[in-house]
Amino acid sequence: MDKKVVSVLITFFVLIGVCLCGCTEKPAEEKGAVVAPKATAAGSEDKPTYIVGIDGEYPPYSFIDKNGEPQGFDVESVKWIADEMGFNVKIQAMAWDGIIPALQAGKIDMVYSGMTITDERKEVVNFSDPYWKVNQSVAVHDDSEFTMDDFKAGAGKVGAQRGTTGAFWAEENLVNKSVMSADMLVTYDNFPLVATDLQNKRIDFAIYDRPPMLDAIAGKPLHIIGEIDTGEDYGIAIRKTDTELLETMNEGLARLMASPKWDELKKKYEME
Amino acid sequence: MDQITFIFDIMVPAFANGLLITLALVAVTAPIGFLLGVGVACGRVYGGKGLSWLMQLYTIFFRGCPLLLLLFILYFGLPSLGIVLTPFVASVLGFIFCNSAYNSEYVRGSILSVKEGQLIAAKALGMTKNQAILNIVLPQALRRSIPGVSNEFIYLIKYSSLAYMITVIELTGASKLIATKYFAYNETFIAVAIVYLALVTITTFGANALEKKYAIPG
Repeated sequence: MDKKVVSVLITFFVLIGVCLCGCTEKPAEEKGAVVAPKATAAGSEDKPTYIVGIDGEYPPYSFIDKNGEPQGFDVESVKWIADEMGFNVKIQAMAWDGIIPALQAGKIDMVYSGMTITDERKEVVNFSDPYWKVNQSVAVHDDSEFTMDDFKAGAGKVGAQRGTTGAFWAEENLVNKSVMSADMLVTYDNFPLVATDLQNKRIDFAIYDRPPMLDAIAGKPLHIIGEIDTGEDYGIAIRKTDTELLETMNEGLARLMASPKWDELKKKYEME
Repeated sequence: MDQITFIFDIMVPAFANGLLITLALVAVTAPIGFLLGVGVACGRVYGGKGLSWLMQLYTIFFRGCPLLLLLFILYFGLPSLGIVLTPFVASVLGFIFCNSAYNSEYVRGSILSVKEGQLIAAKALGMTKNQAILNIVLPQALRRSIPGVSNEFIYLIKYSSLAYMITVIELTGASKLIATKYFAYNETFIAVAIVYLALVTITTFGANALEKKYAIPG
């Protein structure tokens, strides 16, 4: 091979190598800078910054508003707790079905976004004290005559968001108990898509936590036909190793729920 | 649950089902996408002004429209016009549009690489334009398009995973479901990557063999 060609090739590969190294090292640096408390003297710089992972499409708990800003009951709660307990937060919206691995991998420091406390999740992360109780609700199209009994008998296709307790409930109680076949449960990336397909009549039922369900079906020809009393608790998910943060959040939650801010938030987001 | 039970009782059956769907998506899309691509390319090169312009518009639109968006339009958007497609049909349609648009450019390139003199010579021997295109130009052009078209085929294997966004549980979808459910992200995704790598490797060897078999002698 021509010497010039060889030297060009070598330069090229070295450059690629440098770029790749740059790519892998950068997040680690960033992470270190964000998580570790800075040792500078300036007031707010002293506080640690925690990254809070949320589902960006989970109103009224967490959502991204028209201006691209995170909003919601949980988002305001965590900001209040951060002020109270003396730390900074950065809100990060992400895909729900990958949010626990993101927490485990240290991309985020907690999930504060209407996450149901389940035994399976407890095996991999810690949960704060519960702060909210919800049930699963079932919705149908306005033209539909299906009832809750039909739903429990597996009379039609059920749509749910992947990785949610609604999807788990349908799988455990309808598919695994052979009430209906596995292809009758259709799972989607987020709940607005489930609501769209219910409107398109591709599916007969949609199952989801009640508060965000109310938000998702508002103004659409859909209505809730009933609830399944699952008595689920929402909690804040935190890495198993971050016991200190868990204590901080529990303390913060307790203070928040005892403060007038709690009622104010409930009123603002029409939670009762 | 130990690794062995996880792999054999959960991962393998789920992957097998997903793989079947992926193969079905590819098997339906690839031939139609290829033929349509050849048609579009011929339309662009040999069609009159109108047809050529129309084919160019087709290519611009389907190459320019992000595939995921196209799938969303076909699946979630069309029902508002009263057209309700099944998830599988919607995915295959989207893939065919995308696949044929890219293929048409590979084929067009190889058609242009056949010297125009051949077409003139064929006509001088008494062939019609269509006969000349079918018997003289395309046999050479299609052979030359094998590397490009097989490249697109490999890409199709991988972008068929987008069908999972419109509820088709193919290979990626199946793996994501188990990963989410059992919190076994690393194991599952590494395994699924190996399956894709195997598919692509087989395709690569197949394409090489095809290229050798149909090489233009001399």
